[in-house]
Amino acid sequence: MTFEPVLTARVGRDRSQSIDTYVADGGYEALRKVLGGDWTPEAVTEEVKKSGLRGRGGAGFPTGVKWGFVPKDTKGKPVYLLCNADESEPGTFKDRLLMEKDPHQMIEGQIISAYALKSRTSYVYIRGEFFHGARVLDRAIAEAYEKGFLGENILGSGFSHDITVHRGAGAYICGEETGLIESLEGKRGQPRIKPPFPAVFGVFGAPTIVNNVETLCCVTHIMKRGAEWFAKIGRNEKNTGPKLYCLSGHVNRPGVYEAPMGLPMKDLLFGDAFGSGMKDGRKVKAVIPGGASAAMLTAEEIEDCPLDFDGLAAKKSMLGSAAIIVMNEDTCIVDAARNLAKFFSHESCGQCTPCREGTPWLHRVLDRIESGEGRAEDVDLLEKISNQMANGMTICVFADAAIAPVLSSIGKFRDEYRYHVENRRCLVGSRPSVEATA
Amino acid sequence: MSTPATPAAPPPAPKKDTLTIVFDGQPVEVPPGINLIEAAKLAGIEIPHFCFHPRLSVVGQCRMCLVEIEGIPKIQAACTTPLKDGLVVKTTTEKVRDSRAANMEFLLINHPLDCPICDQAGECKLQDNAFGYGEQRSRYDERKRQYAGYDRTMIGPHVVADMTRCIQCTRCIRFCSEIAGTGELTFLDRGGRTLVWTHDGKPLANDWSACAADVCPVGALTTREFRFRRRVWDLQKTPSVCPGCNVGCNISIEARDGVVYRFLPRLNPAVNDYWLCDYGRFRSESLNERDVSKVTVREGGSLQETIVPVAIERIAAEIRATIDSEGPSAMFFLGSAHLSNEENFLLRKLADHLGCGNLDVVVDRSRVRRMKSKTEWIEGDHYGANYAGAVDMGVRPRAGGHGLADVLEGRWTPRLVLAPDAGFAVAADDPDAVARLRQARFLAVAARTANALSRAADVVLPAASLAQKEGSFTNVQGRVQRFERAFLPPPPARPQWELLLMLAATLGWGDRNWTPADVRGLIRKEVEGYGGVTEEELAGGGLMKKGLFVSTGAV
Repeated sequence: MTFEPVLTARVGRDRSQSIDTYVADGGYEALRKVLGGDWTPEAVTEEVKKSGLRGRGGAGFPTGVKWGFVPKDTKGKPVYLLCNADESEPGTFKDRLLMEKDPHQMIEGQIISAYALKSRTSYVYIRGEFFHGARVLDRAIAEAYEKGFLGENILGSGFSHDITVHRGAGAYICGEETGLIESLEGKRGQPRIKPPFPAVFGVFGAPTIVNNVETLCCVTHIMKRGAEWFAKIGRNEKNTGPKLYCLSGHVNRPGVYEAPMGLPMKDLLFGDAFGSGMKDGRKVKAVIPGGASAAMLTAEEIEDCPLDFDGLAAKKSMLGSAAIIVMNEDTCIVDAARNLAKFFSHESCGQCTPCREGTPWLHRVLDRIESGEGRAEDVDLLEKISNQMANGMTICVFADAAIAPVLSSIGKFRDEYRYHVENRRCLVGSRPSVEATA
Repeated sequence: MSTPATPAAPPPAPKKDTLTIVFDGQPVEVPPGINLIEAAKLAGIEIPHFCFHPRLSVVGQCRMCLVEIEGIPKIQAACTTPLKDGLVVKTTTEKVRDSRAANMEFLLINHPLDCPICDQAGECKLQDNAFGYGEQRSRYDERKRQYAGYDRTMIGPHVVADMTRCIQCTRCIRFCSEIAGTGELTFLDRGGRTLVWTHDGKPLANDWSACAADVCPVGALTTREFRFRRRVWDLQKTPSVCPGCNVGCNISIEARDGVVYRFLPRLNPAVNDYWLCDYGRFRSESLNERDVSKVTVREGGSLQETIVPVAIERIAAEIRATIDSEGPSAMFFLGSAHLSNEENFLLRKLADHLGCGNLDVVVDRSRVRRMKSKTEWIEGDHYGANYAGAVDMGVRPRAGGHGLADVLEGRWTPRLVLAPDAGFAVAADDPDAVARLRQARFLAVAARTANALSRAADVVLPAASLAQKEGSFTNVQGRVQRFERAFLPPPPARPQWELLLMLAATLGWGDRNWTPADVRGLIRKEVEGYGGVTEEELAGGGLMKKGLFVSTGAV
């Protein structure tokens, strides 16, 4: 059975952003169905639970269960829904596509989700650099107001909802949901101490649910075609639905690909419908399967590796934002780790000591090794620094993410590190200077 | 009510007012509503920390206070762990030890380690915790971070910032936004480049700005006034009360070799809590001023130096002569809001003994100065710490007696004026006011700094400063607070209570060997509202009026 794209079905269609083409293609039917029929908010939540939808932002937490964390009695406080569109995990570019090419799909999902949460107001926190995406969304939201899908008494149902687009200011950490909340409140973007969790005490002190763009798009289709249909797509009942994969690196056809959850990694890299094999016929050396914060996998490990939450967890890595970064045999693994360490050092918010001080330290040591100044003890030192940064040492999991590429690359390519230190040069190619890639 | 068939469940434990927390196997009862770090302190266990402060919001970001909590696999920050009954806390495990050492290593990799030239040394949390919980060696040998342009810079009228020493604990930021409510400070940039600075370059100029330096655990924020003047371990601390206004903030006078170097706030949750305003704090330097260091008596138009007993005898002789010639109501006794309760009381007793009803105390109004206690804002509105006390002691005109206004407005001219504090108010340096007082045939004062009144006086006795005497003040709340002597006054200067006792004894009342404690004994018996509290309770900033008692602790 061939897989019909769901989330990207309308990508490439002429004027795909316009509400007219969206409605013509059956858009806002799910919303009409939910608001016009016998769907109670609780029933919508139940339906999403049944679909097995897991959050597409990175952690893979079941969306319906998350919605259920909002207290029954909110003590008079409003419930807020936030759409996390701060897509900033390196290698990830799926939400951008969804927002820029088919904004109404997301808006519809957001209104339905807000209905399930009994939320009067929701926000789209969009990455600051996505200037075009923000403009497309603004225009689409204005259209939705015009057609009565947003605002007071939507479609005569008595349900009212408003969406506001808020542009971020360019910080990776604002993709972390409490960092996002702080930033949305106008404060410095730094994660909060949990508990209390956002479902109880979120933005402006009110119960708040934060969902990823792709998650909200999935909600549209779940309500349109039913949880059962959704749950049948995917490798097993724990990993359901269509999924967007962001393929980048040394493959012939990098890009965003939609496939059922659990697509084998080999298919994504080598399938004709996807990556179409390695560029110039090189061999795979390593793959980062879920964005910068996921542990690297070796060529052997990707042999039998379904791309879903549990498949990658079994390999001690994670699906994360499904950003698959492929590195060929000519890649210097130390340089790759150095590049990622530089990113994390730049993006640490700076509130917790281990992360603020540890991320630049990791970067400096990796820089030293890469530029041929490494010492015999440096590889052990990297592991020791990493191990004293994570697992509860900090408020959020940023530090855990920052050490993942370092620890996994050392664990799997220790020889290459050692070669670097002993010979003061790369095992592959010969790139003594780091500046070429900095 | 029938007996249930099944065995009854054990009766619910009686509701307790305290929570049981198990620290390292030792159960401890603690009151609810405090932080786990404070609870540990009650149990005698120190949990090292930097960013936690009892009066500031909990941010949990220095990560120094990590402990193990039973039932939670990951290590937890103690400051952010909610207290609950039966919580089991482990502070001595290997994991805890390693995490503390890790944090100390991280904190020190970019810290200058220039303790020998850092003014915070000796009262530095980073130094203390490094000794207590850090490793001796660092594995970091890269270049340390520097904040060029953000070092040795005044960020306000009092506070000097050295960002290279900062450990980003945000206590100063939180002080300014949560206590002062002015929010001048903020984090700039992020990650390893994070620094604390003022918003848009506006100065850190709130009324309590130096408290930002107090809460700074390291040498990143220091005060211009104290910086580099003394190593802190050389200073002796004496509990005292701020002389700045009638709020009566509890302070610690820090002095060495007869010189006051600074005031620090001394914890008193009912008055100034952990804080002190800049105005009061920087009054400290005024305690070192001394213009009057000789006992002088005017003889035939010229000033002659003499000794204290001779000057006292001269005043006594003038008093006797005045009583003989014009009666006791020709005398005027002027108290002061800067004098202690004991001194004002002795002045009033002397007037009573001599049968004189002409006493007064005036005070200079100031702008309202606000101080945050643990629970509320207290407002002071005049200079001098003890106007309320002076009035309580009875230093006001008796029925039919005259007050200072009568003298200054020319309605009455006393023959003799006795002012134990020549700096009683700004009027004492006003030529017109002094000319009125000088119309008396005899004018005797005690003074530390010279002013128009002291220059006009017939007898001038050098007086002690606040640091050089003991006593008590009554603040705007009616709270009586004891201050102690930091060091002796340089001879021949003496505390005014001693001068007054000498004079009174010469005139046949009291005992010149009494101490301020003896005088307080009389106050307790004779002054309404001052009866309840013992000397023990008063010690260290307690309180006797209204029977309230406030314990004090270290800052």
